[in-house]
Order: sequence, then C-alpha cells, then structure tokens
Amino acid sequence: MEKESHLWATCSAACPVHTDTREYVRRISMGDYEGALDVLLEVNPFPSVCGRICHHPCESQCRRQVIDAPVGLRLLKRFVVENTREYRVQRRRDTRKQPPKGKKVAVIGSGPSGLTAARDLALLGYQVTVFEKDSVLGGMLAHAIPRYRLPMDALQEDIDDILAVGIEARLNCEVGKDVLFESVKKEYDAVLIAVGLAESHSLPIPGIGSKGVLLGIPFLWDVANGERPFLGDRVMVIGGGNVAVDVARAAKRLGPSTVMMACLESREEMPAWKWEIEEAEEEGISIMNSWGPKAVLERDGKTTGIEFKRCVRVFDENKRFNPQYDEMETTAVEADSVILTIGQKANLDFLKGTPVTVDRGRLICDRDSCTATERGVFTCGEVMTGPGSAIQAIATGHDAARAIHHFLETGETLKLPQVSVETIGELPAQTAARARRFDRVEVNLVEASARIRDFSPIEPGYTEAQALAEARRCLACATGAVLDSGAQCAGCLTCVRVCPFGVATVERTAVMPAQQCQTCGLCAAECPAAGIALARFATNKMKENLEGFLKDCSPGAMKRPLVVSYCCMYEATTREYLREQSQREIEATGILRVMVPCVGRLSAIDLVSPFELGADRVAIIACREHGCMYTGAEELLERRIQMVRRFLDEVGVGGASLQFYRTETSAEASWPRFWQDSKRVLGELSAA
Amino acid sequence: MSQDNGMKSGSNLEKVFRAGHLAVTCECGPPKGADVEHLKKKIQMIKGYVDAANVTDNQTAVVRMSSIGASAILAQNGVEPVMQMVTRDRNRIAAQSDLFGAYALGIRNMLCLTGDHQKFGNHPFAKNVFDMDSIQLLNMVRTIRDEGKVNSGDPVEGGVSMFFGAAANPFADPFEFRVIRMAKKIHAGADFIQTQCIYDMVRFKEFMKMARDMGLHEKAFIMAGLTPLKSVGMARYMNRNVSGITIPEAIIKRLAGVPKERQAEEGIRICLEQIEELKEERGIRGFHIMAIEWEEKIPEIVERAGLYPRPAVA
Amino acid sequence: MIVADPKPFQQIRGFLEDYRKILVLGCGTCVTVCLAGGEAQAELLASGLRISFSKDGKEATVLEDTVQRQCDEEFVLPVLERVKREGIDAVVTLACGVGVNFLSDRIGAIPVFPGVNTTFYGGNVEPGLWSEMCAGCGDCITHLTGGICPIARCSKHLLNGPCGGSEKGMCEVDPQNTECVWQLIYERMKLLGRLHEMQNLIPTKDWRPAMDGGVRRSVREHIFRLQYKSGAGA
Repeated sequence: MEKESHLWATCSAACPVHTDTREYVRRISMGDYEGALDVLLEVNPFPSVCGRICHHPCESQCRRQVIDAPVGLRLLKRFVVENTREYRVQRRRDTRKQPPKGKKVAVIGSGPSGLTAARDLALLGYQVTVFEKDSVLGGMLAHAIPRYRLPMDALQEDIDDILAVGIEARLNCEVGKDVLFESVKKEYDAVLIAVGLAESHSLPIPGIGSKGVLLGIPFLWDVANGERPFLGDRVMVIGGGNVAVDVARAAKRLGPSTVMMACLESREEMPAWKWEIEEAEEEGISIMNSWGPKAVLERDGKTTGIEFKRCVRVFDENKRFNPQYDEMETTAVEADSVILTIGQKANLDFLKGTPVTVDRGRLICDRDSCTATERGVFTCGEVMTGPGSAIQAIATGHDAARAIHHFLETGETLKLPQVSVETIGELPAQTAARARRFDRVEVNLVEASARIRDFSPIEPGYTEAQALAEARRCLACATGAVLDSGAQCAGCLTCVRVCPFGVATVERTAVMPAQQCQTCGLCAAECPAAGIALARFATNKMKENLEGFLKDCSPGAMKRPLVVSYCCMYEATTREYLREQSQREIEATGILRVMVPCVGRLSAIDLVSPFELGADRVAIIACREHGCMYTGAEELLERRIQMVRRFLDEVGVGGASLQFYRTETSAEASWPRFWQDSKRVLGELSAA
Repeated sequence: MSQDNGMKSGSNLEKVFRAGHLAVTCECGPPKGADVEHLKKKIQMIKGYVDAANVTDNQTAVVRMSSIGASAILAQNGVEPVMQMVTRDRNRIAAQSDLFGAYALGIRNMLCLTGDHQKFGNHPFAKNVFDMDSIQLLNMVRTIRDEGKVNSGDPVEGGVSMFFGAAANPFADPFEFRVIRMAKKIHAGADFIQTQCIYDMVRFKEFMKMARDMGLHEKAFIMAGLTPLKSVGMARYMNRNVSGITIPEAIIKRLAGVPKERQAEEGIRICLEQIEELKEERGIRGFHIMAIEWEEKIPEIVERAGLYPRPAVA
Repeated sequence: MIVADPKPFQQIRGFLEDYRKILVLGCGTCVTVCLAGGEAQAELLASGLRISFSKDGKEATVLEDTVQRQCDEEFVLPVLERVKREGIDAVVTLACGVGVNFLSDRIGAIPVFPGVNTTFYGGNVEPGLWSEMCAGCGDCITHLTGGICPIARCSKHLLNGPCGGSEKGMCEVDPQNTECVWQLIYERMKLLGRLHEMQNLIPTKDWRPAMDGGVRRSVREHIFRLQYKSGAGA
C-alpha cells in the first residue's frame, strides 16, 4: 500500500531537485544504503559533492526543528555515498541509456549545471561533448571550493559516474580560443552555455593596482591547483559572502598570522551561511562589519593596508543593493595583501561577434525556457541565474536538458512548466509539543588550530551507528497513517483515543491529517476494522511478509524451536540485523528477524500469526527503556501483549510463547542473548 | 395515621398503635427448609414479649421457608405475624395471589419490600423479577383493600382487611430523599413504617424532624428499628459491609472498651439507652427490634426497656 | 449501540469439531466499535482457530470475511453466496445475536455459531469501557427521570427512588463500579429544578412493549412491503 498524501514533505519541496529525502532516509534506517544511493542519484548526479558542501535547504525546512533540531540530512547523504562505493561502481556499469538519437549537443563549461545537463542528455541518447577550458572537470567545484570542504576524490566520484554515461569531455579546450563558438554552433544540433560566474569583480578605488591586491576566484583557483600566491603576514579579505569566507579560510591555511574579513553588511545581513562564518571565526578570522573599502594603501607600489569608510546602509527601501556611506567615519587597517571577493561575473568574451546577445557582461536569456537569444543555444547554471548554490545549478541543468531534448525532438522552445508543490507546512506546535525530543547527532569538526594547518577535510562523516541513529529522527512527514478506502471504518474512535499526538479525528470515518501524523502506527495496530495502514513502513502486510520469508524454508531443515523475532529496527547500530536474511540462515539458526520501525505498531494479529505459520515462539524486542520515539507506545504494546498472551493461553499455544525483551545497550550487544533465552525457555516448556 | 376510627385490619399490632401504646415487634426468620420445630422454638422465645413478629421473605436472597407458610405457623402458635413480601421474586400476579392466600390463612399484617438483590444470596445466578418496586406494591395492595380492585382494575372477590407496612432507611443516600421516599410509601399505602436499625442518632433525629415537618408522623405509625450489637467485631463488620448502615465511631469505641465477654451485655445496654432516648422522640410509635440470630435476647431487652408486659388490646 | 464481549475461545473451538471449512465472519458496525467483532477480531479468531486445529491435527480451512452489517439482507447476501460457492460448512459470526439469527434464517443447512456474547445497549463512557444505558423496554420513561433510565441502570429496576443499598452514590450490588442511578437521577432532577416531581408515584409499568408482550417488531409503513421491487423490473 503506497498511498501517500499528495502533500510534499517540506524537505523535498525545499530541495531544488526535489530529492525524495524521506525515502533515502527510510532506506538508511532499513540498512539499505545502496537503495538510498539509488534514490539520491535519481535526481542528483552530485551526491558526493552535496554530501559535503550542500547548503541543505532540506534541513532548513525540516519539520523536526519545531521539536528539537532538523535531521542531519546532508551528513546522511554523505554517509550513503561513503558506504556504497563498490555498489556505485557496479551501478555505473549497469547504467541504461536510451538508443542513440543521432543528434549532438555541446556543453560549454563543466560545472555542476553543465555536467548535469550533459548526463541527462547522454542518457536520453544524445551525443554530448563537454568543453572545459581547464585540465579537470567540475568548474567551480574543482577550483573555487577549498579542498578542506570538498576533497577532490569526492568530486571525482560524481564525475566518474557522470562520464560513465558516455560523454566526450574536451579538456583544456576553451571556446573562443581553442575552438570558435560559431564552429561549435555549426557542428552541434544544440549548444548549452554553462560557463558559470568564473571571474571576480574588482573595485574602482585608489591603490587597487598595487602589488598585493588579489581577486577571490583566481586566488581560490590557484590554491586549488596547489599554488601558493604571495599573501604576506596580514591578509584582508573584502566581502561577506560564502566565497569570501572560503577565500579567508583558504588564506588562513597558507600561514599568515592575521586574516581579517571586512564587508558592507552587518553581521545579521551577511550573505554567507551562519555556520561558515562561525567556523571561520573559530579559525581565528576576525570580521569587520559595516565597512566599505575606500582606498588601498600602498607604498612603492606594494600594498600596505586598506582604508574603510563606514557603511550605514546596504539595502534600500526596495531591498535593492544600494550601499550608503558615512564618508566622515573611516578606519585604516594594515595589510600585506587584500583579496577582493565582492561578487562574480561571467567571462562571455567568446560570444563577441556571435548572434548570441550579451548586454553589459550579462548573457541575455529566458530562464523559463533556458534559452539564449539565438535558436538552438541554451543556458543554465549561474550564468543564467546569477550567484547561487551547487544544488540550484544542478536543478537548472536538469531544466536545460529537458528544454534541449524538447527542442531537438520538436524544434520548439519548451516553456518549463511552473511546478508549484503543496507542502504539508510547518509541524503544528501542539503536535510538536507532544513529540519526544531526540538530540541531533552532531559530528565534531577537527580542532580549529589543527584544521588551519593544511587543506585536509575538517568534517568527519557519520559512523554507521551515528547515521542509523540520526535517520531514526526523521518524522517521515506525510507518509503516515491512512484509512484504507475499502475498510469498514465504523468511526469507533479507537484511533483518536490511542493517538499519542492528538492527531487522529473522526469525520464520519477516521482521518489522520498528514500535517500532524507522526507515523507511530499505533492507530493502525489498534484499529478494530484493520483498516488503517501507514503509507511507508507499513506493517499491515506482516503475515504475507512472514509467509514470504518462510515459504521456501524446508520444514525438515529448519532448526527448532523457530523464533520469529520482531525487533525495533531503530536499535540497530550496524546493518547486520537490518538486512534481509537468507532462507538458509533462517533454517540454520531457527530465528526469523522482522525489523519493525517501533514494535508498538504490531497488531494483535501480527503477534499471533507467526504461530499459525509454524513459529514456536514470538520474541518481541523493543527499544531501550524509555527509548521510544512515541509517547504511549510502550504502554499500549505492553497491554496488547498481555491480551495476546491470554488469547494464546486460550488457544493452547501458551501465553509464555510470546516473549518481550527490551534492548540493552544496543541491538548487537543484547539481541543474540535474547534469542538464546527465547529458545532456551521454549526448550524447558516443551520438556515439561 | 388516619384519624377515622375505622380499623384497617383489626390486627393486634394495629390495635396496639391505635390504643396509643408504644408497639414492639421483632424479627422471626423462617428456617432454611421445612423445619417447623425450629421455627416453633423461636416462636416460644418471643411469645408474649412482642405485639407482632416480622416473618422475613427469603431475607438477603437466601432461600428459606416461604413467608406465607411461616407466618401461618406463627399465627397458629400465638404470635401475630407481619408477613414480609418482596417484589424480587414475584410479579404482580403472584404478589396479589399471595396476598389473598395470606389473608385467607389469617395473616393480617404485611410489610411490602423490594427485597435484597439476589447477588447477596445463595442464588446469585437466578433471574430476578422486579416487575414492580415496593412502593408500587404498596399502592397495589392498598388499592385491593380500599378500592376492591386488583392491579388490572378487575374487582376483588371478598374484602382484604390488612395492615400494610413499609421499611424506611434514613441512613442510605441521598439523605434528603430518604424522607421523601418514606412519604411516597405512606402515600402509596403504608400504614406503618419500620426503619432500618438506628445507630446514628443525630442523623435519625434529623430524619424524624423532616418527617414531622411533612406531617408524616401523623399519617403512619413509625417504628424505630434497633439491632443490639453482639460484639465490636459485629459492629465493625456491619459498618464496613452493610450498605445503608453507619455505626458511629463512639459506639464502636465503647464496645471495644470492654472485655470481649462483656461486649454483648454492653451492646444490649446501648440498645436499651437508644430505646429510652427514642421514647422521647415525637412521632416514634414503637420499636422494631431486629436481634439478628439472637432472638433469645428479645424477652430480656423488652423487659429491661420497661416495655413488658405487652398490653392486651381489644 | 449494541455491546458484546468475545466468547471464550475454547467454547467456540468446541462448536467446530465436526466441520472442515469454516468462515469467521466479522461485522463492521456495533461489534467493531466495541472491539469485539470487527475485521481485526475476525482475523485474530481465525488465526487462533487455525493454530488450534493444527495443534490438534485437525484438517480444516478457516476463512475470514467482514461485512458492514449482518442485520441487513443486502450486506449478508454476498456472504451467503460465498458460503454456497466455496462449500463452507460452518460459520462463526462475530456479530451480535441479531447477526447470528439473521444469518441462520437465511443460510439453509449450514450451522451459524455465535462468536461473541451480546451483552447490552450501552455507551462508550471512556476508552475501553462500555456501560449499559438502555433496556429497550419499548416505552421510554426517561422524561420522568431526568433523562436517566432506572430500568437499565438500577440493579433492581426501581422506579420510585433508591433502595437502602445506595451509599455514597454507589450501588450496593457493585459498589466499586456502578453508580446508584437514583443518586444520579436525584442530582439531575435537582439540577433541572424538577426535584419536586420525584415525590410523584410512578405507577406499575406496562411491560407489554418490552419483550414481555411477546416478540416485537417495528414497522415503517411508508416503505413497508412496497408493491414493486426496486430495480428488479418485476
């Protein structure tokens, strides 16, 4: 039963490529990391990159934050790619492409948007060539993001995947120099301009030409390529955006004793991500807010410092960038070098003299169709959108690929449909108030003093135990309880009464609003009409599942007693117990594990039917004491067990055959003991 | 109390009341079988010391000899019976039929009760009847006597001159309703009232005041119910387990304050003091002494209470 | 609502010794609401029977089904057809006694066994608790008693006030659980300003409209025995 709400989870809605967040998190919870990777790659060819550097709008919109803190989705993503490398290589080999279409597409630029479009088009059967002026693919990912944030091998994993689809990459081939745009245009059926914003803006102030003034992007480019530009001992970085922070932090790693940042914006207005600013400060970078550069100070042509004037306002009433200064308030700071990181622009010189219109350094284009002014010429990424995030660039790459595909199929321009998604909205406060709090799994960055020594990655990924613990925190929004349309709902109100979150209501029949449902499944377990199921993590087909597990086991080979063990899957710290067992393993051990997201959702019939299918014993293993996500689930389960034990007594199976355990420490540490105990007690019973 | 001179029944009990004496009744429980000799022994114990004796109707829903049969034996042996009749076990057809039969056997007093729930007896699994309640029973038998009609309205052949009584419990809840309920019984047809055994004198006097305010003491002969306590154990048991009975802490303390072998005597003294006190209570027209399984003490209590010898009325 | 309790398992098991293909039939209305005989309970009982049969080495098939109501012809017909089609030789119904009768009247030579004990007409006074509130006496007198029924809720069905067993608001027959209904009536009449009415004698009741008048039926003339059969064209 995959009947989900039409409402989007806020995380997926916030993601520019609409990653099915809940699904990959669910697969992590079930130990299916490979399946989680499949979900990621479905919409995002750069999961390794995003696992490292994505600004994770999914987390910003995570509904869990109303309860405690958002789920650590970015690190979960990273966990997936880091734990599925072999599978990913294997998967590459199995990539299926559509038959060749006999048409060619040129992609100029190999940043995230260009490569995304290239991959999509190649999979559709187009012959795709990527033109890259540098010696490596990746654009800004390869050159402008410091290695401590994005190690090269992480990027390479994604690029290898993309190239495996079958894309010709012409490295060291700059359009406009090594090959003319017009000839590319002639040779290919469509051209995609995805050159990004690879150049930094400069400033028309005195002293800007002095030796010691650098531009941000070229600086990062050099650093990424292992060069060490001269900085001196005191570095001043101008700018308050993310690139400026990257520049400052990269500069810090090159050894100067002082790195400072100065920007027009107040601390609150700074466009850089808050966490980036904090990490920079930890690394000893100080920030001067609300100062605008007035003049670079120089002596003998060498930079000696910089003079600032007070910026009193950055944005005007219309929230447009329109800085105002108090020329009277100034300050001067000594510096051996000044790095300007105040904005980026595209280098579109290669379009000079072509019919593709460029106005004041900007490519004239239509974002709704990803087209430039010339037929057959398309665009995507930051050159189209202006400065943005990697994941946003990836999204426009998909858009451009669709537009090009449509054009090549029909000869017409595709107006990309405006997809408006209806989200389930914020978690209502009254529901959040009833939810249990669970601390977010945090990773500790390398000590600031150590991380400024070099460009080694500063952030560890999740361990398996951490990833499983964090995945558990996902509320699985909008995939909760649903009344089966064919159910004999009598409006009995049992769901209303057992719902720990006060969510279920009866409006003629039971209604569990997706906005509030916490997917605990207690209503499903108690529904007397057996009419409620959960859209995901469903347990209403438990008997069929058990039959599936047992049908191929040979009764003769089965080790007795046979224990069906329902286990709280959230207690697993490795996937050893999460993976599906082989028939042989079940036969040899006499233990059939059934991993359940909260054993509280097991209905009475779930507890009885294993005996019908040949089990000698049912061992329920719940979470640790007070470890349950769901208030009330423990009490309801205990009462249900008592009821079923009485029933089993009546039936003649013996209520003692239904055993209840609580995880101690961890699944791995305690479950084998429980299974042993379960078998032992059974032996005593049958002997008696 | 009706002011006309016409007797309702001419029973001894009625005559004692109407002559202005304080009447005395007691209880005489029939045997759990047909053991007539046992019954006769009890009759001999009380004979001459009471004006009439209640014959219980399968009291506490324990099966005993029928109250009609036992009442007839009392009458034959010189003690006037007050035949109890409960609605638990008989519908209106049986009740009316039994009334006629009882009258034919010479029974002249009848106490109309709903009866204890069978849960408390030895046949808790029995089906009960409760076709009517005690008040409806009173109304029905009064109509037979005064209007000559059975419940359906059909005429009664021959008159039935009986003296009808009812029970009242001032100690059950809701207290304010207890006197209203007694009024309903009197209006329905009760000529006399026997109360539940009294220990809480404060509450009882309050009850009597309410009854007097309603003029009930002039519409029916109200008898104070008394049960001598045999021991402090009995007192505690009744306090705890019998609904509608509360024994004040002072009484329990007083019993507990004397050695076990003298507790029975102390219980009787308390009972006698209560009688003395209640003789002064306006509207009390007699005493109903329920000496549970202690019938042999009736003569002593009656004598020591100054109520012996019983008046001979014509 | 009609309230029922599950019958003891072994009693039901005892009904079925001679049968080989058994249908456990849940009912989707009252017994679902009181958690005694809905689809979930049907599944549970059927599972229990299969386990029990298997333990005893008895070869029998146990099927499950649930209909919206077992007291209406249209809902019951598909079950009757299924019973015939699949050669079912016994039915255990989890409906109230009405369902047992309703099926038995229509099913021909197939036995229908009760899977629940039908108890009373009651209300769900708190989760997991149902209390008797109506006796179906056929001549409602609650207008005299503040809307609270002494026939259903007084252990002795008294009509003229509480007996001596009313103590601290509870009934002596079950002082832990059962409120004295006359205490409730008294308080309610007081609240309604109608206490004086309690002095009136409520006369002996005419029990004919209750089951003492014989088997009862209820007729709605406006649709009773229509001359045409809807949709049948005959």
